[in-house]
Amino acid sequence: MENIIEIQNLNYEINNKKILDNICLKVKEGELVGLIGPNGAGKTTLLKCLNGIYKAEGTVKVNGLMINQMSNKSLAEKVALMHQNTQIGFPFPAREVVLMGRYPYLKRMQRESKEDYKIARKNMEYTDTEKLEDCAINEMSGGERQRVLFAKTLTQETDIILLDEPTASLDITYQEQIFKYSRELSEQGKTVLAAIHDLKIAAKYCTRLVLMNDGQIVADGSPEEVLTSLNLSQVYGVNALVYKNRITGLLDIYIHKVNEKNKSVRFHVIGGGGTAGSVLRQLYEQGYYISAGVFFQGDSDIASAEVFGIDYLMEKPFSSISDELFNDNLAYIKNSHTTILCNMPLGLQNIRNLEAAEQAEKLVIIEDDLPETRDFTGGKATGIYNRLKRKAVAVINSSRLHEVL
Amino acid sequence: MKNKKNKKNLTNVGFIPAMLVLLLIVMVVGTAIGAVNVPFFDTFKIILKNIGILKHATFAEGQEPIIFLVRFPRVLVAALAGTALASSGAVMQGMFRNPMADPGLLGISSGSGLGAVLAIKLGLTAASMYFMPLFAFTGAFIAIFVIYLLSYQKGKVPVLTLMLSGIAVSTFIGAITNIILTLSYDYQVKEFLFWSTGGLDGRRWEHVQLVMVPIILSVILMFVFSRDLNVLMLGEEEAKSVGLSSGKIRTVLLVLVSIATASAVCVSGAISFVGLIVPHIMRILVGPNYKKLLPASSIGGAIFLVACDLVSRVVAIPYEIGVGIITALVGAPYFLYLLLRSKKEGGTVI
Repeated sequence: MENIIEIQNLNYEINNKKILDNICLKVKEGELVGLIGPNGAGKTTLLKCLNGIYKAEGTVKVNGLMINQMSNKSLAEKVALMHQNTQIGFPFPAREVVLMGRYPYLKRMQRESKEDYKIARKNMEYTDTEKLEDCAINEMSGGERQRVLFAKTLTQETDIILLDEPTASLDITYQEQIFKYSRELSEQGKTVLAAIHDLKIAAKYCTRLVLMNDGQIVADGSPEEVLTSLNLSQVYGVNALVYKNRITGLLDIYIHKVNEKNKSVRFHVIGGGGTAGSVLRQLYEQGYYISAGVFFQGDSDIASAEVFGIDYLMEKPFSSISDELFNDNLAYIKNSHTTILCNMPLGLQNIRNLEAAEQAEKLVIIEDDLPETRDFTGGKATGIYNRLKRKAVAVINSSRLHEVL
Repeated sequence: MKNKKNKKNLTNVGFIPAMLVLLLIVMVVGTAIGAVNVPFFDTFKIILKNIGILKHATFAEGQEPIIFLVRFPRVLVAALAGTALASSGAVMQGMFRNPMADPGLLGISSGSGLGAVLAIKLGLTAASMYFMPLFAFTGAFIAIFVIYLLSYQKGKVPVLTLMLSGIAVSTFIGAITNIILTLSYDYQVKEFLFWSTGGLDGRRWEHVQLVMVPIILSVILMFVFSRDLNVLMLGEEEAKSVGLSSGKIRTVLLVLVSIATASAVCVSGAISFVGLIVPHIMRILVGPNYKKLLPASSIGGAIFLVACDLVSRVVAIPYEIGVGIITALVGAPYFLYLLLRSKKEGGTVI
């Protein structure tokens, strides 16, 4: 595969302010590249430079040809750009708007041929807008208009398709739709470059992401390489945690603010079976020092602990807690100011977690369900649990956890 | 569904011929009615006879000269001016992406006025009758170009800026025109006043000859740019994305609009609102597509101005009200109606 787009040392400024700062980027045929970055990073400007709307310093080559040496029409046969938020004030029927995509191919007095109509119709069917063909573009919803404009962009039949925030005004149904189309198009050999606001969608559909900030390219590579906690924290100025969502198997992003004051306060969380996840998150946001355990291998609580960088203890699955781990757990509990016991199922394997909790200095019990309903030890665990309850400083519903933190 | 579509196309196909028939009727009626009424059919026959189609027809004494030498050229001038103004208005509305754009509002009329005064002052009108349209065109083009440059910001022409700079430039040009008039001889002032009042009385075949070619030519050339106008309506950057060289095309269109408007102003004076309301009504009837809108506007403009001229002649016999007054009486309320409606719809027009 060869580079269909080659950008070298591209600079663009407005009023002495650098909008694009020495951009170099090569895109191969058939790639679906997501341009991400905060507002004002230069994503839109870069797309417009590729399309010849802005004349920037530096070289932009499409198919090996310098775009500033191409005529407007021949560039429009190679590159199509779908703008963000195009407003059309006149009641053009959708069909006529889509047909305007044929402009580069038609001579001044030439009528649209049957073939032109066929291409327009095909793309309207593809974007599910054929029912709107007689509707006025200025009376449509934002989503309908965006799909009509997408059809128009496709009707230009270019090898390179640029999309500027294509889903900004779309319902979730069509948000995903446009990227599914884009993926199909890139599989057919078209090259798609899209400025994308939504990082999760970008990670899900793009084969490659380019992260921009202040007019520069900060990171470039696969979604996993680019969407790291470090990159996002630096570029967006927030604390971002990137992790693989265990339910969807997709990259997910968790953005939060950490309370810096509470660093010295220690918490220990006893949980399991996925009951500790939200507790760990809330403690993490408060900025406490946290430890957790004992969990069993394969528990989703372990994934949570890893995302938040929490020390945890782990036992092999389907076995009882060993003496060694029991003692480690005790050590964590004794070191902590407060221990939290989650609303976990109680079994013979994890009963020693309850025994360890008896040593806690300050115990908070989260109880959403009565212990009898989640006791699988034949009453033994409930006995210990009720003793713990008498000792605990608070027994609360999980929704009220923030009150004791 | 299919039937509905076919029916719609049929009305669209028949619309332009229907308008042409209507124009013919209005022109015959406009020629027939006046201080001396001539039956419509006779009027039609007189016109046909004098352009050499009908032979061996005789009419009451004096009717032939009234119809063919006085009224018919006047009606033709009205039709040509109406065509020029309405087509120019339609083109400007597309170029500026705004239904409020109009040659009169944008200083073209005042620019061509200054050009005309200069031609009169320099005594060139006596040398050749073509100097006045030439000067008027130059003045119109310079005026609209200056206004356009003043309001152009980052690839857009904001309408408010456009209108304000239009007013400022027009006022400035008006002041210069007045200075020149103050320094002119009486007969020159009279010549200018006769020209500038926006009337059609006393228009003869020579006026038809003067503007027929530039108006018809420039309007036909506008038709050639229909698709470009459609694409321009999507916006400057959208237009560039499909490969339209907007700078070049805008310049060409400005020249065409200037030629058409200046020619109209040369023979009819400054007639307001034709370029605004005719394209507007046509847009409601045939839609915004310039392939239909421009032909419809050009014919509609002719019908409108011929009809207004007829009203201006008969409404207060034996006096004649300037046709510009009639168009203003119809146009100004319509303009206000548009403003009010756009206010209601959340200000999409301005």
